[in-house]
Amino acid sequence: MSGGFNEIHQEPTTFISKYVFSFDHKVIAKQFLWYGILFLGIGGIMALLIRWTLAYPGQPFPVLGPLLFPDSAGVVPPDTYAMLFTMHGTIMIFYAITPILIGAFGNYCIPLMIGARDMAFPTLNMLSFWLALVSGLLVIVSLFTPLGAAAGGWTSYPTLSTMIGSPGSGQTLWCLAIFVLGASSTMGAVNYITTVITLRAPGMGYFDMPLTIWGLWLTAILNAIFIPVLGAGVILLTLDRVAGTTFFLAGAAATSGSGDPVLFQHVFWIFGHPEVYILILPAWGIVSDLLSFFARKPAFGAKATALAMTAVTVLSTLVYGHHMFTTQMSPLLTQSFMTLTMTISIPSAIFFANWLGTIWKGSIRFHSPMLFSLGVVFVFGLGGLTGLYLGTVTTDLYLHDTYFVVGHFHYTMAASVLLGGFAGTYFWFPKMFGKMMNECMAKIHFWGTMIPLNGIFFGMMMVGYGGMHRRIYNPFIYESLRRLIPINEMITISAILMGAFQIVFVINFIYSLCKGEKASQNPWEVGTLEWTIPSPPVHHNYDVIPTVKCGPHEFGNPKLTNGRDFQYQTEDLVV
Amino acid sequence: MNVFSFDHFGHLFYRLNAANWFSLSAPPKDISTNGHLIDYLFNYTSYLNIFYFLLVCIGLFGFSYIYSAKRNKKAYYTYGNQKTHLIITAVIGAAVFLSIDLNITRLSNNDLLNSFWKWPDPKTEKVLKVEVMAQQWMWSFRYAGPDGEFNTKDDVVTNNDLRVPVNTKILFHLTSKDVIHSFFVPNVRLKVDTIPGRITRVWWDANTPGVYDIACAEMCGTHHYLMKAQLTVYSEEEFARWVGAAEQVAMNTNDPEDKNLQWGWKWEN
Amino acid sequence: MNEARKTQHTLAMTIALISWAMLFATLFMGYAIYRSSANVWPPMGFARISLVLPTISTILILISSWFCYQMKLDINRGQVAPAQKNLNLTLALGFAFLVTQTLLWRNMNHSGVYVSSGIFASIMHAFTWIHAAHVLAALVFLVYLYFQFKRHAGNADALWMKTENGEKFWHFLGIIWILMYFILFVF
Ligand code: HEA
Ligand code: HEA
Ligand code: CUA
Ligand SMILES: [Cu+2]
Repeated sequence: MSGGFNEIHQEPTTFISKYVFSFDHKVIAKQFLWYGILFLGIGGIMALLIRWTLAYPGQPFPVLGPLLFPDSAGVVPPDTYAMLFTMHGTIMIFYAITPILIGAFGNYCIPLMIGARDMAFPTLNMLSFWLALVSGLLVIVSLFTPLGAAAGGWTSYPTLSTMIGSPGSGQTLWCLAIFVLGASSTMGAVNYITTVITLRAPGMGYFDMPLTIWGLWLTAILNAIFIPVLGAGVILLTLDRVAGTTFFLAGAAATSGSGDPVLFQHVFWIFGHPEVYILILPAWGIVSDLLSFFARKPAFGAKATALAMTAVTVLSTLVYGHHMFTTQMSPLLTQSFMTLTMTISIPSAIFFANWLGTIWKGSIRFHSPMLFSLGVVFVFGLGGLTGLYLGTVTTDLYLHDTYFVVGHFHYTMAASVLLGGFAGTYFWFPKMFGKMMNECMAKIHFWGTMIPLNGIFFGMMMVGYGGMHRRIYNPFIYESLRRLIPINEMITISAILMGAFQIVFVINFIYSLCKGEKASQNPWEVGTLEWTIPSPPVHHNYDVIPTVKCGPHEFGNPKLTNGRDFQYQTEDLVV
Repeated sequence: MNVFSFDHFGHLFYRLNAANWFSLSAPPKDISTNGHLIDYLFNYTSYLNIFYFLLVCIGLFGFSYIYSAKRNKKAYYTYGNQKTHLIITAVIGAAVFLSIDLNITRLSNNDLLNSFWKWPDPKTEKVLKVEVMAQQWMWSFRYAGPDGEFNTKDDVVTNNDLRVPVNTKILFHLTSKDVIHSFFVPNVRLKVDTIPGRITRVWWDANTPGVYDIACAEMCGTHHYLMKAQLTVYSEEEFARWVGAAEQVAMNTNDPEDKNLQWGWKWEN
Repeated sequence: MNEARKTQHTLAMTIALISWAMLFATLFMGYAIYRSSANVWPPMGFARISLVLPTISTILILISSWFCYQMKLDINRGQVAPAQKNLNLTLALGFAFLVTQTLLWRNMNHSGVYVSSGIFASIMHAFTWIHAAHVLAALVFLVYLYFQFKRHAGNADALWMKTENGEKFWHFLGIIWILMYFILFVF
């Protein structure tokens, strides 16, 4: 079905139509990027407030504290702490990582890498961004409501998230914001799926697509199928809150309770587990491509990698129960979910082996995108392997809801996905803005992120194994946790360091945008379609729709005679 | 030393000593018959994970070093789809599954069936039955009293204070009044959610007298962090003495009109 | 209209409808769990909802779907004028459907099935609300289509995409309603 309808849209002329209400996927991608980075900053500052509280309970947060919490002399109060981690989780997942990985890279890469002039539905695309913005505003507004923002955790389990536990309007706004964002993401997903199916350049089969596109495409499929499940869940939760229904109410405190709070957990995780793969699939795709690009070698077993990612996508729909072992599902369900969870490590191990196979006997160039990609291999190894302790029912009975889980998912999300996002940013920045990012600052940023990051997240796993449970304002209420103070302090110092090094990134980003060295058409010497056109590309991307003649990873072919070690996808494969 | 003060920056050297942290972060003392199963499985998984992660690291750092552009000018041109390549990949996939996954699943299943899900039967063995009611932000424990029936006048009810005899199986039935909580006893490695409208259950025994922490592990509101209870493990005589006295007090003072005292449910077995 | 463009629209609408189907599937899954874990259904103290109004709703929405289908055929044949008539009928029946739904809610309240009186009432009210909200949105779109028909009276081609997608969505809501009718009310 490739080579579909690909018209040239009129180039916008006014500032508003060019940069604000733009239909151009490249501009929308940048809007999502700014949006995501802004929320990453907000979520990150929240993380630092959380960390400070855990290491130095009862002490005022330096500088910002007295401004934010004048009533308590700068100390984070307990109810605010609950809002902080709830909004930190929500913001990081839905408003930082999703817009950057899916909104920005999805929009930017899909049309360019498959040789299209734009998304299949530019208007829908624009609408998707503006809905995301509305949702972002709702979240910000919810922070300033009288009783404060949502405070029941990003999972917002009822009955805590119903009126019984959260009377304020913050939780209702949270539900609304998530619903609106869901609508936005679903629109995006419909668009991405259609674009990939119908607008691939002539000659581009599915296995000629870069693996980045595979990741984004599988993500879009999961989004389209599972976001509505969460949508239904939050509608019912909202109705419980505002209309008097009792879907999730039960127990003595619920006067008319005959509902079932656990049903929400099922609904949430039927969505929630695929969601974590929604976040990481684009990162896996980007890493699989970049490892090949910078090892100057074809991606090892590219087809197997694509199929393994597909297998993870399919399996991810069947394992959600591993988040609910402690609710005592029936023994049969418990055992099935454990076994199914374990099977995910087969495809994971396969693409892991392929990643290592890609750099094996390569000729590796350690540019910043490559450093970040190699970093992902390291941290995802840790994150993935720690998932196995949690997938095992008996060990999970101890580890569930401890910092071990927090460490696991920060290794997979806050480390793997975040580093994948940085890799992508450094890699496509020249194409996006026509400027190179400063390589020296990029390397400082890499090491300054990578080292403290392991201090934070490995430290979390240590205190978790030591028995510290999550979402607690002051762990040291428990005598038995006092011994963990030094580790908590180390985590906090690491987090402050990591935060500080993110400033290097922001400075580099803005500096390069203004004063960066001009980027050539193909600074990384890579053969995928987006590097066959100028940086930044013209409004309609391709004057002539390219014809694809070989795969995206043609590096190091000994028969090449043109002085390059790579081939463009538009060139006939040299044999 | 005041733990909450800045002056422990002064002890940074002590604090930044990683060897210390590993010993500090060992889980709390195991006081139960079955807790060691969980520790064993954790360590078992760790050894295998460390093995595979070392393989990953050898590949990652080794290849990065040997095949950097500086040392290896020309990359080897392969798609990685030759037969040997496919076999190696498949073997890695299968090895991970067979060595880690199947083993830990099997061990965990065995532990569940032979221990954690082997519910003690009050008819045939000595079992202490306890009902647990969680609410924001307190634990209440109910002992059946001499008549062995719950929600009767002779029940002993304690708040945030669980006392049990050593070496006796204790079977808990738990529920919650308002929101979801989770009954976490780190020293026996087990936790189970308490859910409004449902009854969940868990059993364990304690083999070391002493005083330990019980925590609420599920986010349940602002004071979730304060929802802690104390577990006291008595010798059998001490427990008999305590519970006897408490039953006496209950008989004399329990007020049948007190709404707060009237909870509890019949057990099916 | 360009064939390739038509394919894109068909594909995108199919994906969107799969998404929507998941939303309703989640509701039905919830229903299955509530119902199978209850000893008696409807729970003690409640009577079954009378089938009269739901049956009328079902008939209305079925007929409207048929007219909607005729409308699409007319547009495919390039005839806007008869399509306009069929659109008007679809709209009228659609609004009639909403009226019967409103009556249904009133009826439920009269017979003591208030939203807040437990899980049975919650389901009966909320699920029909969620469906009715979608019907309302679809009707707003059909009204928009009405004005588009006026505007492009001579150009069926320009109307193809909107008609096609609107028609699919309308049938989709019809199917969901029929499922609700059998699952919630009859069964
Ligand atoms: C991007 C996000 C992401 C990813 C990818 C994963 C991946 C996995 N996760 Fe994780 N998880 C989360 C995000 C993620 N998770 C989040 C956010 C939560 C908590 C939410 C909350 O409660 O707030 C969570 C919680 C969570 C739980 C619930 C814990 C609890 O609450 O008690 C479980 C339990 O099974 C689990 C398991 C797994 C497993 C088995 C994988 C597997 O996919 C991992 C597969 C990978 C491997 C097995 C490693 C690869 C193989 C090798 C390295 C082998 C060696 C190779 C060679 C030698 C070449 N996760
Ligand atoms: C992808 C998601 C993501 C990311 C990136 C992070 C990043 C971090 N997280 Fe978080 N976290 C979650 C997802 C994430 N987290 C989730 C889902 C939860 C669970 C919530 C719940 O329990 O409900 C959680 C919970 C959580 C807790 C547990 C709270 C509790 O249970 O009580 C802690 C505690 O230490 C923590 C710490 C951190 C730290 C130190 C970072 C650091 O990595 C942060 C470092 C980053 C910065 C310091 C900012 C960087 C700034 C910029 C890049 C740009 C700046 C720009 C401008 C200012 C414009 N997180
Ligand atoms: Cu009770 Cu947390
Ligand atoms: Cu999961």
